[in-house]
Amino acid sequence: MSFLRIVMIAASVLSALHGALATDDPYLQKRAAMVRDQIEREGISDPRVLAAMRDVPRHLFVPPSFRARAYEPYPMPIGEGQTISQPYIVGLMTQILRLKETDRVLEVGTGSGYQAAVAARLAAEVYSVEILESLAARSRRTLSDLGFRNVVVRQGDGYYGWEEKGPFDAIIVTCAGGHVPPPLLRQLRDGGRMIMPVGGPFMTQNLVFIEKDARGSITHRNVLPVAFVRLIGH
Amino acid sequence: MSTPEPRDRGDAVYAGATAERVVPAVFFLSAATLANEIVLIRLLSFRFWPHFVPLIVSQAMLGLGGAGVALQIVRRQVVRSPGRIFAWMVLLAVPAFDLAFRASQLIPFDPFLLLWDPGAWPRFGVFFFLLAVPFFLSGCATAIPFAFLGLKPGPVYAATFAGSAAGALVALPFLMLAPTGWLLRLPLALGAVACAFVLSDKGGGWRKGRAAALCAVLLLLVIPPADLRLSPYKDLAAVRNLPGAREIASRSGIWGDYRAVFAPGVHSAPGMSVRFMGEIPPQATLFADGELRGIVPKDGGRTLPAYLGYFPAVLPYRLFDHPRVLQLGLRGTEGVLTAAANFASSVTIVEPARELVRMVREDLSGFSGGWPGSLPVEIREEGARNFLARDRRVFDVIEAADISSATFSSLGVHATGETFLLTREGIRAALARLGEGGLLAFSGWLKAPPRENVKILRTIRAELSAAGLAPVADRIAAIHGWGTFSVVARRTPFHPAEMERVRRFCSDYGYSMVWPDAGAKAVDSAEERALREAVSDAIAGPPGEREAGLFDLSPATDDSPYFHRFLRLRTLPEFRRLLGSQWVPFVEWGIVFLVLSLGVSLVLAAMLLLLPAVFARDGTGKAATASVAGYFTALGLAYMLVELTFLKAGILVLGDTIRAACLAIGGFSFFSGIGSAVSGRWESERTMRWVFAGIAVCVVAGFVTLSTAAGPLLAHGWAVRTAAFVAALAPAAFLMGIPFPAAISRLGAVGGSAIPFAWAVNGFFSVAGASLASIGALWLGFRWTVGIGAVLYIITGLQYRRVGR
Repeated sequence: MSFLRIVMIAASVLSALHGALATDDPYLQKRAAMVRDQIEREGISDPRVLAAMRDVPRHLFVPPSFRARAYEPYPMPIGEGQTISQPYIVGLMTQILRLKETDRVLEVGTGSGYQAAVAARLAAEVYSVEILESLAARSRRTLSDLGFRNVVVRQGDGYYGWEEKGPFDAIIVTCAGGHVPPPLLRQLRDGGRMIMPVGGPFMTQNLVFIEKDARGSITHRNVLPVAFVRLIGH
Repeated sequence: MSTPEPRDRGDAVYAGATAERVVPAVFFLSAATLANEIVLIRLLSFRFWPHFVPLIVSQAMLGLGGAGVALQIVRRQVVRSPGRIFAWMVLLAVPAFDLAFRASQLIPFDPFLLLWDPGAWPRFGVFFFLLAVPFFLSGCATAIPFAFLGLKPGPVYAATFAGSAAGALVALPFLMLAPTGWLLRLPLALGAVACAFVLSDKGGGWRKGRAAALCAVLLLLVIPPADLRLSPYKDLAAVRNLPGAREIASRSGIWGDYRAVFAPGVHSAPGMSVRFMGEIPPQATLFADGELRGIVPKDGGRTLPAYLGYFPAVLPYRLFDHPRVLQLGLRGTEGVLTAAANFASSVTIVEPARELVRMVREDLSGFSGGWPGSLPVEIREEGARNFLARDRRVFDVIEAADISSATFSSLGVHATGETFLLTREGIRAALARLGEGGLLAFSGWLKAPPRENVKILRTIRAELSAAGLAPVADRIAAIHGWGTFSVVARRTPFHPAEMERVRRFCSDYGYSMVWPDAGAKAVDSAEERALREAVSDAIAGPPGEREAGLFDLSPATDDSPYFHRFLRLRTLPEFRRLLGSQWVPFVEWGIVFLVLSLGVSLVLAAMLLLLPAVFARDGTGKAATASVAGYFTALGLAYMLVELTFLKAGILVLGDTIRAACLAIGGFSFFSGIGSAVSGRWESERTMRWVFAGIAVCVVAGFVTLSTAAGPLLAHGWAVRTAAFVAALAPAAFLMGIPFPAAISRLGAVGGSAIPFAWAVNGFFSVAGASLASIGALWLGFRWTVGIGAVLYIITGLQYRRVGR
């Protein structure tokens, strides 16, 4: 009886695994190529970030019509006038934040949920706020389907952060009105890090990295994507 | 060859296609077509990226050229019944103005997606095709009278020109009066009048089918217009999408469609210092044609918002106590509130968009709390250059805020837009209005590599040096925050105590001083080092511009007023190599779409012009001779090069783009119409030699006079400037109306089989000429572009005697 049960469980696990692999297989290769060509080659070296990006199925975070191109080096529309950042920018932002297994992370602007998923592979908890209900519901569903238990998505105005869950070790802002929201600075733990891209939809030009030191002082610097550094170096 | 007689010569008369009916019909249809073009520019600017619009509209205009091709191919069928076909082309073109736009809104297309989604291209094709339909039908209707009805080309072509002039001039008040969604009523209404001229037949009785078509047009006039569907990536669409968003004011006029939206989720403070830890009050967001234009903080007039003190752009207020401030451009109420919070003694705002001014001052006064009571605020509704030339007052601070985005440019969106304020002449005019110790201040977004800030510094340096104010380096200060920069300049050197104030300001708010403290080696960030080197080079480096740079950072001038054009064509391959897949944010999309527009029009022209040779089986393919093609190609290109360059120069003289467009298009069409009307008397080869020479002389003389007199003219009233502008273009425009009908007449005299082909060639290359005029203005300047137009007329003249042989 117990042997039969083991066989059945094994069979169902294998079947599920096969199904998953069968579904994921074409994307697995694309994902590996994406990490190799777009992320690693462009200077992202943190092995944990690379592993997370190899792990998270980006194609499941984009609309079905864009799945075939989910691993191309471009941002893509996800509906409601919003976009999913290009893989390199996600990798760069994640690496700059230096996330640890114990970190509590706040994300402002869940969008597709992809950035939250990558962060969730590296940190203990990720709290994500999305102002548009439709996107919040969709990303919540996607993250849940993929088994992310350490990500919580809430619909609300991310400008005010998530005070009850703060302070945060790291904050990722994906949508700001051209400034660093003061409520988020208040919710950033001493020694915490914050990252914010600058530019319009599809057009990330640089990133602003903010650190709060142990005494609560704020410092900031601009971080340029590698290609832009090449341009300046020229 | 025989003359183009209809098989049933009575058909023209039977169908009412006599000159008395045809000429007015052509007049009103041309008016409707031109009004449709102008209205489409507004509607599509509202719906999409503005820089994408010229591509769409100019390509749709290819429908006119396509009409010539189609008529050439089906020539035998048209010859059987040209009167009826003419009538039905008019009757179908008019409802198409409205229906094609409605249908285009059903296509799930967005220009943003052309970059990422190959599936967007077929949708773009359908979208493009739909918008081209009314132009195609209108082009057929206009070409039939002189190609098939045997009417004299002069009067018909004159009606085309006169109708276009009327369409342009009527569009101006209509844009002022009608809400944006209702603008397509204008071409419909004008077209309905055209329809009325083709309803009756020989006996004077109405044809039922045609009357039914007119009824359909009238029905379209009264049913509500389609709701405008915005691209979801437009600023307005994004804000509307936020929970609790509501529109609290809207106005429209010749300058654009203005809306104010309140959404609790909007918290705008571009570039604000991270030292600010307080609250930003609720804000209303202002949009011009769907793009973010300004912010109105709630009750800001009653309680000055503290956050407005935390921007690098506040710098001039730290250097001048109680200044008299001149702000060039209205950005909601933030500019005034900032001045009030920093103890300005008065604020004068120059803003040509009357609708925006009224909306901020009247419609939003309850929301904003009005202007701060303690501060005298004056708003002048005119162009900045006109104000600087006309008003003799002096100011302590002259501000041009946000020169790198929003109203000026964003990611190259407006690289192709004329900005006469940021030219050497514009800076000279602003410097002349500064009082003792007065400051000229510019601010905007930082970019990597640095562009706007370096270019404005180079422009300031050039003007200070030209005025003998050396050393320039002592007269400039530059700072930056985490995302924005601020530059101030003046005619007298800064004192050390003033520099100390700048340093303290930077220290208090977390900004960096770039000049005069530029120490390129003292910083380790690549971006900071690059910025400091570029600023240092711009202010104190060797004179002239480094040709080796990827970007063109030389000062703009009134002859090529494209401050936001940074692209060097020759560096494009290296650019692409350095950026790999991250090229998108750097590309100046306005230029890309302009070049794309030229490429598409040339490819389509080449493809479609070959069709007659392939499909026409009656030998008309032979009519497409090299001489006809050469003559009408040069003519199409030359006319547009001249007309559009006058238009661009007119923006400076007349003070705004819309008036310049209406007066240039209207003026050229009107005087060319007169030229066409009298062309019959001037068709001899001998006379035409003088005509072409006269065109070249009048074009060059008119343009040189206009551009030379532009400076002094700016100080005069609108009537004088208008009169001068029209006077400068009139002689050239009159003569430019002659060559087309004169050559058509020659073709008619030898059978007329090549007339549709000539019409097509002229149509296609007019579109290409429009793109070339912009490209020429961008890289060669107005004078060279006009000069090339004049030379093309000479070349056209050399081919005249071969046409029709």
